Amino acid sequence: MVENRPWLTLTRHILLWLGIAVISLPIWVALVAATHPTSAFVSGILPLWFGDQAVTNLVAVLSNDGGLGVSVSATRMLWNSFVMAMVIAVGKIVISMMSAYAIVYFRFPGRQLCFWLIFITLMLPVEVRILPTYEVVANLGLLNSYAGLTIPLIASATATFLFRQFFMSVPDSLLEAARIDGAGPIRFFKDILLPLSANNIAALFVILFIYGWNQYLWPLLITTDEQYYTIVMAIKRLMTSDNGLIPWNLIMTTTILAMLPPVIVVLAMQKLFVKGLIEQEK
Amino acid sequence: MASLTLTHLNKTYPNGFTAVHDLNLDINDGEFLVLVGPSGCGKSTTLRMVAGLETVSSGDLHIGDQRVNDLEPADRDIAMVFQNYALYPHMTVYKNMAYGLKNRGESRADIDRKVREAAQTLDIEHLLDAKPARLSGGQRQRVAMGRAIVRNPQVFLFDEPLSNLDAKLRVQMRIEIKRLQQRFGTTAIYVTHDQVEAMTLADRLVVMNGGKVEQVGPPIELYEQPASRFVAGFIGSPAMNFLTAHLENPTTLVLPNGQRLELPQAVDHSGEVMLGFRPEHLESCSPEQSDFTLSVEIIEPLGADTLLYGNFPDTDTLVLAEQSGKARFHSGERIPLRFDRQRLHLFDPQTELRIT
Amino acid sequence: MHDKSVFQHRLLPYVLVAPQLIITLVFFIWPAGQALYQSFLVEDAFGFSTEFVWFENFIYLLSDPEYWTSIRVTAVFSFWVAFVGMALALLLAAMADKVIRGSRFYQTLLIWPYAVAPVVAAVLWLMLFSPSIGLLPFWLSKVGYQWNHLANSVEANILVIIASVWKQFSYNFIFFIAGLQAIPRSLIEAAAIDGARPFRRFWQIVFPLLSPTAFFLLVVNVVYAFFETFAVIHATTQGGPGNSTKTLVYKVFEDGFIGLDLGSSSAQSVLLMVIVITLTVVQFRYVEKKVQY
Repeated sequence: MVENRPWLTLTRHILLWLGIAVISLPIWVALVAATHPTSAFVSGILPLWFGDQAVTNLVAVLSNDGGLGVSVSATRMLWNSFVMAMVIAVGKIVISMMSAYAIVYFRFPGRQLCFWLIFITLMLPVEVRILPTYEVVANLGLLNSYAGLTIPLIASATATFLFRQFFMSVPDSLLEAARIDGAGPIRFFKDILLPLSANNIAALFVILFIYGWNQYLWPLLITTDEQYYTIVMAIKRLMTSDNGLIPWNLIMTTTILAMLPPVIVVLAMQKLFVKGLIEQEK
Repeated sequence: MASLTLTHLNKTYPNGFTAVHDLNLDINDGEFLVLVGPSGCGKSTTLRMVAGLETVSSGDLHIGDQRVNDLEPADRDIAMVFQNYALYPHMTVYKNMAYGLKNRGESRADIDRKVREAAQTLDIEHLLDAKPARLSGGQRQRVAMGRAIVRNPQVFLFDEPLSNLDAKLRVQMRIEIKRLQQRFGTTAIYVTHDQVEAMTLADRLVVMNGGKVEQVGPPIELYEQPASRFVAGFIGSPAMNFLTAHLENPTTLVLPNGQRLELPQAVDHSGEVMLGFRPEHLESCSPEQSDFTLSVEIIEPLGADTLLYGNFPDTDTLVLAEQSGKARFHSGERIPLRFDRQRLHLFDPQTELRIT
Repeated sequence: MHDKSVFQHRLLPYVLVAPQLIITLVFFIWPAGQALYQSFLVEDAFGFSTEFVWFENFIYLLSDPEYWTSIRVTAVFSFWVAFVGMALALLLAAMADKVIRGSRFYQTLLIWPYAVAPVVAAVLWLMLFSPSIGLLPFWLSKVGYQWNHLANSVEANILVIIASVWKQFSYNFIFFIAGLQAIPRSLIEAAAIDGARPFRRFWQIVFPLLSPTAFFLLVVNVVYAFFETFAVIHATTQGGPGNSTKTLVYKVFEDGFIGLDLGSSSAQSVLLMVIVITLTVVQFRYVEKKVQY
């Protein structure tokens, strides 16, 4: 700090607290709503303080005794989301590390072509090729399956570039020393490159886990069997109720369950994750 | 331990640049050979070809009796010390040194014995559990050395290993490297751009320039009998002075100030020549005996010696004279100087080769 | 100059790139090609026959006022999402960067919405803005304003923008904080010695130095507003009321999956691809320029 201006410091703190208040407002309301019975929402205005139905709501959602607009329990949907997020995160890391390794540490005919094919995927987000991708997955018989949920999202140019960038920053002499020490491509990868990438892998894992967990459009398209619903995509379904009364308490309980895992991952690995995210700019 | 033979070795990059041109060298068993030259002269490329890190474009490379052109680096039985040390950052010192042995499938007990022995030799036993990031530059240097000696290879390769150290440490490690090499008697090839390092370490010195060898020989030979103007200017510190002069007849040289010098031996040349003389081979004398008078512009007192700079009379050529540190000089002083006649070097201005 | 040290191996590199390449070809390149191909076809009403019609789908699309409405909606929406999101993030990042005590604490409390799914953001704000039970309409009614985003298109847009900005705020914030921290202290100190007051310092020294970050974020935010906010719209307004929140991506989805108009949906996909490619090229151009600094 260059100089000391008390009023300025005070303004800063006030603004920051205001920001936090606005950011947190929806969460506060969600937490409150999750603690009331459904009847509390008929009266016309959201309650502002906690009720005593938190556990009841939680049990209702996790076991789905019929109050939810779908036939599966939130437990099942959480599991589906977890599988989807894990497979996508781990799968993306594995295959993009492999391809980045090939592109950086080998010279082979077609290398440029591979690079460009991967690069192009940057420009083809799922949203712009919805219908044909859906057709491919349908033709392969992957609708309503974990494979269909994950594999089409597993190729990632971003992760490949990130690893490529990192591998290129590893000094050449390290590879040379390893070659003199008798390490071949597999051993060099396993003994040297993999341990050196640990931080990058962890940071990327956070980002990709969140990416996978938060998928919406894709599961919406390819799951018609409720057994494969993910919790994030199901929230919207819950809001369509037959009797006109929206069960806000159950929706909010589900919503909190849906955002808890990724939020915990981000907060637990805050430092690594922030660093990893910023690397993407370079 | 082994000898090395490099025969008609060439390296041309895909972009057409020739880094090494028709290199021929025989390196004796146990010899300490230093490759020296300015950056881009091909010395590092040569070393990397020997290591197997760079493919050979044409020519043959033998270690002992075996042609190694197509062998993997690991199969050549060499060890290399890199400029940036190339220690594996995530491994402890112990694991860094053990890695090559482990990959060769040596037993745990053998590895342990060899690593501890090498660590003892280098006095880094207390660092075995540390990771490279925690070590000082000098310590990293030692570990890099340790990684090389632990394998007891046929040949040590050094790629400017001291250039990342500060001046004082550099001198210390220089001595240590020499001591170790003598102790193990392992053939060594050492690349540097620092001619002092080259002179002090080498059994034999190879001066390279533009991808070609300029001269090969023991350091003192290169100092006393440089084969070309390039070697003359590169070897020796401070660097040699050069003047354009004129040969009146095979034994008489005319300097730019009109002074005539009688040469000790007749030379096989006539007309214009390049005269080279080292700063330390100029002595002050009485005005009558002098070959020229230097009007001193800049004085660098180094303690043991004093360096005097000034233009050679009637020219724009800056000349440096090294004098004993005992004498006192001041700027603007005019000092009569005399050449050591036995230590004059003449070079052909066209070919830049030594005239004898 | 040396060769980059690499391994020599005939088969291994192909084995290594194979998984990514196969997935890319099957799920990216092939469908994109299909979209391109189908955009030149028209299917009859019963799906029995298709006809190759060249650019007819595109011509039809670009002469359809509804498509232009969608373009306008997307543009306005993207502008507000990027502008509001970045402005707020920059303001708070500038505050948090200068705070000595508790800087880390503030950051933690401000970055977690990054982890929240867009649809979750949408549902949270939908509840807050719900005309029947929402807090905000209740407060607004106290000052005499009747909020109903189901009927009022401006209010529908505001709702969608707020939910989208809320979710994207953290991302912007993280990058602005990093950008601010990368500015050398000595520059600020030099400006202070030159007599520049804090506000002037910010606009004349800090802000120009942040412009690369801001530009990067602008592209990211536009891409976000184009594509990732589909969930927000789907969960809140579903394009309504009227077509007032029907963005291009939402329209592709609706025409393709609900309207089952294959040709038009494909043509829209192709136009979207053109937009993404343009944005990517712009971004890479800028990255290249930055490298030259």
